[in-house]
Amino acid sequence: MNIDLSIFTNYAPQLFLGFWMTIKIVVGAIILSLPFGLVLALGRRSRLKLVRVLTTSFIEIFRNTPFIIQVFMFFYVLPFYGLHLPAAYVGIVALAAFGSAYFAEVIRGGINAVAKGQLESARATGMSDWKAMRFVILPQTLPIILPAMTNQTLSLVKESAVLSTITVSELTMAAIKVQGETFRPFEAFIMIALMYWALNETIATIMRRLERKVSSRSNSGRASGIARADPAVKDD
Amino acid sequence: MKFDLTYTLDALPRLLDGSLVTLKLALLGFTFSVVLATIVTVARTVSKSQIFGAIIAVYISFIRGTPILVQIFLVYYVLPIIGLNIGPITAGIVALTLNSAAFIIEILRGGLASVSKGQFEAARSLGLSGFALWVKVILPQTFMASIPPLVNEFTQLLKATALLSTITVVELMRVSQQIYSNNYHPIEVLTGAFVMYFLMCFAVSRSASWLEATFEVKRA
Repeated sequence: MNIDLSIFTNYAPQLFLGFWMTIKIVVGAIILSLPFGLVLALGRRSRLKLVRVLTTSFIEIFRNTPFIIQVFMFFYVLPFYGLHLPAAYVGIVALAAFGSAYFAEVIRGGINAVAKGQLESARATGMSDWKAMRFVILPQTLPIILPAMTNQTLSLVKESAVLSTITVSELTMAAIKVQGETFRPFEAFIMIALMYWALNETIATIMRRLERKVSSRSNSGRASGIARADPAVKDD
Repeated sequence: MKFDLTYTLDALPRLLDGSLVTLKLALLGFTFSVVLATIVTVARTVSKSQIFGAIIAVYISFIRGTPILVQIFLVYYVLPIIGLNIGPITAGIVALTLNSAAFIIEILRGGLASVSKGQFEAARSLGLSGFALWVKVILPQTFMASIPPLVNEFTQLLKATALLSTITVVELMRVSQQIYSNNYHPIEVLTGAFVMYFLMCFAVSRSASWLEATFEVKRA
């Protein structure tokens, strides 16, 4: 097997366009799924049973089915209800729905890891539930959930490859096209594999820096001797 | 146009067949990857070779850093080029195995770390060595400690089998695509497949505590 290096140079612009599309899709999905994931996480703690059942079902359904079938469902269901979006937007919506279910579980794990006494004492000082959550609990969960959030972000980057099946022109789609034009699948796919790998390693490095910053900041303001909550966030 | 349940019901027998294929693929992939990951874990611990460790680390990083869809394409399109003419099913299982093994190596590393050093020393002082030491003492404890993440990995694998539809493996996803390309009712058919995936994954992910209880009893 000989490797044709000219493919790397000839088709680089095409692949980088796809790469840029992948980044845009993932960023869009994260922007949508973070607030929605927070709402879902809080919904699972709601006093209303209906809200709990609805949010829990949403989370479990999206966590227990393959992303590819979710994508196809969105692709066919949205037009069914009269919502005709371009494939890329369908992809962002699907990725956001999928991501928010996972983000919700991470946030919930973080909230549970912050000691229960924190909520009780915040309530005892006269804070409302919402205020206690906003000013006492959630800021403390941040350093705990960051590593798991990073993992979820990386998995969104990877899952975005599935959007090529509904013709979104992201990185994997670009490689499929290059492969179709050149009949050189190895060069096409190994190149995008390296691009995904580089992207994920970059995100991981940046997030590790951020984690160190956040955890050192939250530690400095803490009286010594207080045990840190165990970051036992399930990573999946 | 409205949701017509008869299309879901009509598709049900074929979807069930597809689910069986999906389960088979996942079980085969999981079995192979557990075996591969166990061998690698033991070899890495016993040999202490830095080169071997580095190769495994790069392999794990590559698998974890790239989409499984791309890995499937790589295996499917590249193995024939180097002279291995394998069908989509074999390619799919190979891709799933290579992917899952990387994650299971990491899981087993965690499980192995939870086995105390005293277990090695005690087993050695009883005269156990090599094969017996690992198979009778260390690995059972490693796997016991790894049941929840292993179950989680199995659901990930089960979900990943759906991606094999892109390389023409006729599993649940592909079956539903075949059905709706004939009857033009994608929503009804996909809903059926969706529910089946959910039932399979949900059942598996709930089985972790049951498995732990089962194996706990056997050990006593």
